Amino acid sequence: MIVRIASGITGFDSLTTAGDDLGLGLGGIPENTVTLIYGPPEVGKSNFCHGFAYYGLTQDEPCLYLTTDMGINEISQNFKDMELVLDEYLENKMLYVVDAVSNDDESAPYDWHQSVSVRNPTDILVKVTSGARSISQKNPRLRGVIDSLTTILESNNEMLIVRVLKTYILRLKEAGATAVITYTEGSSDPRTEILIKSMVDNIIRLNGKKITIEAMKGIGRKEAHYQITERGIVIDGNDD
Amino acid sequence: MDEFLASAGFTDGFPENTTTLIYGPPKVGKSIFCYQFAYHGMSINEPCLYVTADEGMKQLQQNMIDFGWFLQSFMDEELLYIIDSISSLSGVPIENTSTYTLSKINDPTDLMVKIGLGTRFVFKKSNEFRSVFDSLTTLFAFNPEPMVIRFLKTYLRRLKEAGATVIVTYTEGVTDERTEKTLKSIVDNLIMFDGNYMTYKSNLGFIGTVEYEITDQGLVLGKGEIL
Repeated sequence: MIVRIASGITGFDSLTTAGDDLGLGLGGIPENTVTLIYGPPEVGKSNFCHGFAYYGLTQDEPCLYLTTDMGINEISQNFKDMELVLDEYLENKMLYVVDAVSNDDESAPYDWHQSVSVRNPTDILVKVTSGARSISQKNPRLRGVIDSLTTILESNNEMLIVRVLKTYILRLKEAGATAVITYTEGSSDPRTEILIKSMVDNIIRLNGKKITIEAMKGIGRKEAHYQITERGIVIDGNDD
Repeated sequence: MDEFLASAGFTDGFPENTTTLIYGPPKVGKSIFCYQFAYHGMSINEPCLYVTADEGMKQLQQNMIDFGWFLQSFMDEELLYIIDSISSLSGVPIENTSTYTLSKINDPTDLMVKIGLGTRFVFKKSNEFRSVFDSLTTLFAFNPEPMVIRFLKTYLRRLKEAGATVIVTYTEGVTDERTEKTLKSIVDNLIMFDGNYMTYKSNLGFIGTVEYEITDQGLVLGKGEIL
């Protein structure tokens, strides 16, 4: 049986409950896998990450969050809008942020906040790796987020990023992490896009109205409608 | 797998001592085919040389356990020889054993040396053995395309000479069109996966297609048809 962890997205876990579940309701994201969330811009990919990360934190699962589009302060504000407070998790070292947006001087004064440049993938990898190591020393499981891969691809040679991504995936899995990675479809060469899809375990597409689970360990293709509400993504009942 | 192929009206099982390219889009079951192919072989005492380029040893074992296939006893019996060309990137120290060797994905020369050693080891057990390379996709991500093609040609020739039945996987669409054509031309058989059907094409002009499904027991084939 494939162990799944709760996604933190309303409706997602019942959508991903396997057929042989016997009504136990143990859906979610397969543990220790990497999931690609892709689709057009502004369809809720970041919201998915927020829900995923936050739920983990409430379950004492630390999170290694690589952010390239929103600085830590903006993320904190987004969570506040959802009436969720991150401060405590940043203070008690549950949330480790690798921030490719904020400059050093404007970033929040937390220990577990590392600034990187989006143009320096090697440095990103070093900081992510050390983050994963320091978290996994104390915790058997953790969550990982990259939001978004697109920004990193845009600023660098695509093949280099593919190799860095492969290394990231290996290291995060080795550390026991379950990770999600966002990517804006069509933002890189079609070959790069296929390579990215080939390296992840699960693929989810959001198009603004529907969430499609194109591939996931242990279940077939699934589709459902969703909405973005003030409390994050809410998935309606299964359409199938 | 062989029975599946045979019962689906394919051939008399998987053609022995040939090379086969398994290709198709991401997440359609190519790796699962490899697991099943290797596992079935070992359960009838045919050793296997397994080159893993997508997943490290630990993940490979975990992936197979998801289907209820356990590798440990085959490793103890020395039926399985694994060349792990990717774990070195994970930065975690792992030790080689008599049936497990690390290599580097960006160093085809080293990989070829390890394959040579592995082939000799497996060949000593039986001159009928299986060989899996999963997948070329990662090799292409880390090396120039012509180099991968040269590597593959040598790999296929050596393994075939040693008596192996070889399968190699590749994600369609990640290389230049010409490279893809070359890839398809240097193997004996092709199996294309599209998520619903697998289409088999042998160098002897045999073409067949069969419906398939990914279940928790691996790939299960449905109705087949010879074209």
